[in-house]
Amino acid sequence: MAARRVAVTGAGVVSPLGKSLAEFHAALAEGRSGIRRLPESLAQSSGVQVGALVDWNPAPLLNEAEAVNIDRVSQFALAAAAQALAASRLDLSAADRDRIGVYWGTGMGGAHTLESAYKNVYGAGEWRVRPLTVVMAMNNAAGSNVAVRHGLRGPFANFSTACSSSAMALGEAMRSIMAGRADVIVAGGAEALLTPGTLAAWQALRTLAPADAADPAASCKPFDKRRAGLVLGEGAAAFVLEEESRARARGAPIHALLTAYGNSCDAAHMSRPDRDGQVRAMREALIEAGLEPNAIGYINAHGTATAVGDVVEAEAINVVFGAAAADIPVSSTKSLHGHLLGGAGALEFAVALLALEKGVLAPTAFLEQPDPACRVRHVRLRAERVAPPRAVMSNSFAFGGSNVVLIAERA
Amino acid sequence: MSTLARIQDLAAKEFSIDPKSLDPHAQLDSLGIDSLSFIEFMFKVEEEFGVSVSDENLKGIKTLADLERHIVDALAAAGKG
Repeated sequence: MAARRVAVTGAGVVSPLGKSLAEFHAALAEGRSGIRRLPESLAQSSGVQVGALVDWNPAPLLNEAEAVNIDRVSQFALAAAAQALAASRLDLSAADRDRIGVYWGTGMGGAHTLESAYKNVYGAGEWRVRPLTVVMAMNNAAGSNVAVRHGLRGPFANFSTACSSSAMALGEAMRSIMAGRADVIVAGGAEALLTPGTLAAWQALRTLAPADAADPAASCKPFDKRRAGLVLGEGAAAFVLEEESRARARGAPIHALLTAYGNSCDAAHMSRPDRDGQVRAMREALIEAGLEPNAIGYINAHGTATAVGDVVEAEAINVVFGAAAADIPVSSTKSLHGHLLGGAGALEFAVALLALEKGVLAPTAFLEQPDPACRVRHVRLRAERVAPPRAVMSNSFAFGGSNVVLIAERA
Repeated sequence: MSTLARIQDLAAKEFSIDPKSLDPHAQLDSLGIDSLSFIEFMFKVEEEFGVSVSDENLKGIKTLADLERHIVDALAAAGKG
């Protein structure tokens, strides 16, 4: 029996750069930033100046009651998953939904719900807490909402490994389909934690960029000498992953094949990135795909714009790709959409698909002064248009030392 | 507005149901209101009326009319009736 391969047959996006895959891709191609000054209500309490918010309206997807009883992170998840399923043209009413699963990733889960409950308890001394607090805030709520809404009764998993959560969801979903445990998995991730308390916690970590004095939209500058840290964002991305022969038999739109997934742990430090851990994850992915390094035509870097992180990742890319690194285009689009944390891996997989399908390489925006310590072949300032490459890579490296690397190939 | 009308209003909003189709004597589950949704709804009803219904009384509530009765009693006990 031939090995089972995994096709990407649908994608959906809710992001600071638009609320559909098409809008997201258009903004990336234009190099438009979704980073803004935060509203006073968030900035004043937390001290954080900039963020990448989604311009969100739950209607018409959710009715008034659902909008109140489902946390923002789950709302994003529902919207992205609904888009992905619609785009896949999968007829769920006729499908065996025992064979369709949901694999999701989020760092924090229902941050808004949790914070509002704590605000009542500790702020107002009001110990009456909404009964739905538990099921709205729990980490698996976003994925579970997707499963409930579409009646997807196959395998379910929820990954919470900070910034690699949703990349891991995609990778593990791929493995499960390859192993025959499911035929289709809706995989992705979401994050919505721009609340005063969570922002204050991030601010305390001293890794967030202040507002760029001239242009707040340009506050996140990965790989630049002037980089000053990351900018937090929110949103979701979802993909319909489907066993390839099934997808072809029904004439599904096939964006790409998800062919490899590297996963390693630094096992060294809770926050400081480790070159060797990243190297192991990239190498594992290349080996699984059976590709030579020069087959990779674009790398979406983790590139958070921290002082240490960008240098370590550039070094790791050079170790893995050797001489080929000089010619492999690399960018970090966090400069445009901010850092979606648990949702980052999935959103950035959508960036990698733009390169793979259309040959549009989204830029590291605002990279005017490349740091010589980050010696890779940058796609900077503006998008580049190339012949669609054979394969692309997306890196997600998380606090806790979790490294996830995905490779997608042309269908 | 009567107590029942206020409860029906809240229920219509909470469950996105047309208030006219909310028969106060219908079993809650026949209205599509499950136990979790009902607990959350009760929280909002208690907020609205500024009273609380004991866990013991809560178990006996099967319809919106039952709920109204408990709220009216609670309001009377609190001297708000």
